[in-house]
Amino acid sequence: MYRLHLASRYTFARPVSYLAMVAIGLAVMALIVVLSIMNGFLEETRSFLRGTTADIVVFPHQARYAYSRDVLEGAVAEHPDVASACARLVRPGIFKVHGRPPVFHGNSLSASQHQVLVLGVDAKSEIKSTDFAEYLDRVENPEFRVADPSDPFDLPVEDIREREFLYTQSPTVLISEEMMRGLLLQRGDALTIVTVPDSALQLDGAPVRPASQTFLVTGAYNTGHYSHDQANVYMSTEDFRSWSGTQHEVSELYVAVSPAADLSVVRDELDAKLRSIGLAGQVETWEDRHRVWLGAVENERNILLVIFLFFLLLVCTITFSVLTMMVQQKVRDIGILSAMGAPAGGVGAVFAVCGIYIATLGGLFGLVSGVALAANINKVKDALENLLGIEIFKKEIYAFSEIPVALDHTLNIAIAGVTVVGAVLICMMPAFRAARMDPVEALRHE
Amino acid sequence: MASAGGAPQEPREPVLSARNLVRGYRMGEQTLEVLAGTHVDLYAGESVAIMGRSGSGKSTLLHSLGLLDRPDSGSLVVHGVETTTLTRSARARLRNKRIGYVFQFYHLIPELSALDNALLPRRIEVGPLRWIGKQKEMREHARALLDELGLSTRMAHKPSQLSGGERQRVAIARALMSEPTLLLCDEPTGNLDERTSEVIADLLFQVSVERSHTLVLVTHDSDLAARADRRFQLHEGKLEAFGA
Repeated sequence: MYRLHLASRYTFARPVSYLAMVAIGLAVMALIVVLSIMNGFLEETRSFLRGTTADIVVFPHQARYAYSRDVLEGAVAEHPDVASACARLVRPGIFKVHGRPPVFHGNSLSASQHQVLVLGVDAKSEIKSTDFAEYLDRVENPEFRVADPSDPFDLPVEDIREREFLYTQSPTVLISEEMMRGLLLQRGDALTIVTVPDSALQLDGAPVRPASQTFLVTGAYNTGHYSHDQANVYMSTEDFRSWSGTQHEVSELYVAVSPAADLSVVRDELDAKLRSIGLAGQVETWEDRHRVWLGAVENERNILLVIFLFFLLLVCTITFSVLTMMVQQKVRDIGILSAMGAPAGGVGAVFAVCGIYIATLGGLFGLVSGVALAANINKVKDALENLLGIEIFKKEIYAFSEIPVALDHTLNIAIAGVTVVGAVLICMMPAFRAARMDPVEALRHE
Repeated sequence: MASAGGAPQEPREPVLSARNLVRGYRMGEQTLEVLAGTHVDLYAGESVAIMGRSGSGKSTLLHSLGLLDRPDSGSLVVHGVETTTLTRSARARLRNKRIGYVFQFYHLIPELSALDNALLPRRIEVGPLRWIGKQKEMREHARALLDELGLSTRMAHKPSQLSGGERQRVAIARALMSEPTLLLCDEPTGNLDERTSEVIADLLFQVSVERSHTLVLVTHDSDLAARADRRFQLHEGKLEAFGA
């Protein structure tokens, strides 16, 4: 009983013990917050990439891409694990917002012209195979929402802006909420998109004459990922082909696979199937397509786990120092305890329990504060931004509209647990030293 | 050659019997022999004073008799048990139950109150489960002891809040808590003024008589030594009886 009693008195009577607890807690908290953000980043990235890419993407062979979309879709649809497929046409373009002077204002979104990737999609297939419907639903400003989410390229006549009456018969385009907000656009506004038509690409050396078309904005989508939303616009495949003058029907085929299926198996089987019928191309899972990006994020997370070892080392050093100092200060008490009949193990246990108190309370503090901070990181960020008047999280840089967080409670408990166990184990060294101390020498200690 | 002087009137078994105790310390190449074949028998209820020059080995002898230190050779029997062959933990158990220490500098735990300091030997003696069962009884015992030593109003005070005399009384209470048979005092009045020294000395002799403890006093104070039943001088590592 004296072990717990004395250990609590020794621990809680010393400010340095609280300092050690706070240091351990801060180390655990920092790691939980950083790993939660990194996990959130990875999770969001995966979810975003999967949502915008679909499970599997088929790229038709360049030399054969004039083949019919129906043939390719039909061949893919025969696979039992394929739930749906949608063809996309992809082409870079530059758009110009009407009525804006041709100058840059530093922020690319306020520029008069804007470089984008134009995606020609069939809305119904896209909704079936990707998270397209969710992106339409995620638009925050009700004025930016499309009139009919099942047909997002439809713009009712009454929604066309009065000043754009010249373009009533123009094709339509769906742009991101971020663009609408940044470019001060409204539904029914007109913009012109320029590209290089196929005809201009066929003769080497001939002057390239761009193709240009005015479009009316039907509304907005919002993926929540700044970099994607700033650079992609959607239009129907028919409008795409008429704008770009392309004869191709498919740039890439997005395939949704049943949830239970193994993506790499389906990928290999689709690849073999397409080759067997002479439609050889490239078949990739969404993870294959973004392997570099995902690998980088995964790698960063692994680096963090290595950093965790340094945190652990720091925590162990702090605990060891505090306990060693405590044993040094309590040499005479060790002699007294021995004189009162405490066995060597009991004397050591007093200091081991001190270490357990410090490590456990520090670890618990870190776990609770880390989880609380991670769960409220965006509120804290907003409060700090308001307080300091600076932008802490730049969404232009990080591609997310807010700091992504994914709390993995098993990982968090493991971090706190390993830290506590490490700190407790290192405490055994000074405790062992206390146990081995000669009681007579200890009593004579000045 | 030292041996027990002033033998008791009735033949009886000694509480502690030391034979030919040798204890040396290595000082570089040489060994300084502090105890060089010391003999002594201590009987229940008697008081013994040990005197000697500084550095003569009085504290070493006390630590050996109190099982804190292990002699290099010789025999030390406490309550019929040969202690030189016991393990460290067995000696600790015996020390806890049979031996009470009072030091010159009190040696109280600064973080504990007077009551908790007094309770320390009993806390060490019993395990957590027995402590829960006996806590009330032990606290009552400690309170009664502190009350008897005139500390009824100081029980909750920390050592830093007590005077020297009060601290030494807490140390005596702590030494008596386990109801030991041997009370070993190392210069118990060495750090106190004359008046307080007298009070503490009275207290030690009084409890020794009342409780039949064997009181061993290591002291430089010849007045204090004169009150003991037997007196020894530690000279060249051996006990010599004087002033019988």
